Amino acid sequence: MRLLTHNMLSSNIKGVSNGFPLRLEVEKFIEKEVEFNADFLRNMFPKIEWKALVDAAKTLGYADLPEEADPSLLDSDDFLKKYHHALLELHVEEGVLICPETGRKFPVNKGVPNMLLHEDEGFWRL
Amino acid sequence: MYAYELRFQRYFCQQKGVSYAAKIFSWTAALQSTSNEQILRLNRSYSVSNIVPNTDHCRAILCIQMSSSLGLLKLHKGLHSTIQSDGVESSAVEVEQTPQPRKLQSANHDNGCPSSVKFTPDIEKKYVHHVYDAIAPHFSSTRFAKWPKVASFLNSLVPGSVILDAGCGNGKYLGFNPHCYYVGCDISAPLIDICAGRGHEVLVADAVNLPYRTDFGDAAISIAVLHHLSTEGRRRKAIEELVRVVRKGGLVLITVWAVEQEDRSLLTKWTPLACKYEEEWIGPGSPRLRSPSAATLESIPETEEKSLCHDNEEKAPEESKDRGLDSASEVNNNSLASSNGKNGNHQEYFIPWHLPYHRAEVSGASATALASGLAKKDDKKGAVVYNRYYHVFAEGELERLATGIDHAVIRDQFYDKSNWCIILEKT
Repeated sequence: MRLLTHNMLSSNIKGVSNGFPLRLEVEKFIEKEVEFNADFLRNMFPKIEWKALVDAAKTLGYADLPEEADPSLLDSDDFLKKYHHALLELHVEEGVLICPETGRKFPVNKGVPNMLLHEDEGFWRL
Repeated sequence: MYAYELRFQRYFCQQKGVSYAAKIFSWTAALQSTSNEQILRLNRSYSVSNIVPNTDHCRAILCIQMSSSLGLLKLHKGLHSTIQSDGVESSAVEVEQTPQPRKLQSANHDNGCPSSVKFTPDIEKKYVHHVYDAIAPHFSSTRFAKWPKVASFLNSLVPGSVILDAGCGNGKYLGFNPHCYYVGCDISAPLIDICAGRGHEVLVADAVNLPYRTDFGDAAISIAVLHHLSTEGRRRKAIEELVRVVRKGGLVLITVWAVEQEDRSLLTKWTPLACKYEEEWIGPGSPRLRSPSAATLESIPETEEKSLCHDNEEKAPEESKDRGLDSASEVNNNSLASSNGKNGNHQEYFIPWHLPYHRAEVSGASATALASGLAKKDDKKGAVVYNRYYHVFAEGELERLATGIDHAVIRDQFYDKSNWCIILEKT
């Protein structure tokens, strides 16, 4: 799971009003080189919740992103490279995603998050 | 090793002329020592195979068979007891007797959500999820041809688009247009494992409850997914989810199998759901109680013994015969809740999947399915035969379903290779 994917995932448990961002606990992560594409990064920027990306990257030991970012930074190659690395090259292999409201844990196994809910979580309040 | 908690939705036993049975509606497994993978698999494949009444207290002892990467596990569960079996520790399970078995189900109308959406119906678990889990490698080996209509939709998206594929199967469309970012999900963990093995960005999730932020995607696709959902409420919810997860102006492509098959002979290979199944699983209101043995396929008529290989093949990419939907409005006013299409055409089917014996041996799931009656052997064809549940769509049905969705307008719709297709734009 890339951090871009983490940035779009949200806990969808019934009754949770804000399931984003899912807290990340990482047992294992890997880095995979991805071709750099500045246009892609610029297009993606408005969608990204920056703080969630910064926090997730820190969980993986990558602390080079600025705490805050505005579109003017997208002209900086240095910024784009760090943003690229955090967004696309860091992969969570083993760990858990934790719902910020309920604490429900969603496992990430072999890089694949399992976001399935139990029947009662999807449609019942406990 | 594991701690289990099971709860029951409805139940009845057979004792003193009274029927008792149990249906697990949820269970959780807390991982303590081994890998998550086993939990993922355990979470999804279970069936209540046998129920033995306890004569003292009208309580049932359940024998639950679960297939998993560990092989076949048998968990014995009884009230007030903890039983160690095959290295798996199970916590106590409570099975109650109730004269109103439907009480739990009907007592929870929250947010006006139709009850038909609330639970994954048994028929989908048994005849969709379980089957795809069991046939995943073989199914995947037959899924590679890409439909030109889907391909052209994906190619029409601007570079850098985020494309969400809900019900991605073996992921044949993931990465199709390399200038876009794809995330696929499917409820079948074995199919998702195949996608992940190919390097795709994927997760396990349910199409009626997508785990994505609202408005994130630039486009979403649902290819041959909605026809596996067994109620109109769930089919509509799946469309609502697709619309929810794309941004304003984002596009959603949906394709479903049509009643109006180009190859009419296919229908003769399908088994219309017997009335009692339809009533029980698809019909309005709560599913009726049934004895545990009714969950097997014993009473379902055999499909016609025709050529094995045709059933599993992707339809030929030739003979693309587009047909406008100008006449669709004529059927718009048909009964909304009808489970059968116009002219009384049947729409609820079991459609066989023949898993050759040499493929079946790869997976322990087939042994479980055979043991529980979910699959049958066909020695003549040398295959384990699974039935997959389908609700095939009648002309105009997809349009009607999509018309009621908030924040969406229909941009295009067409018939392509025995599928009804629609493109929605989020407004």
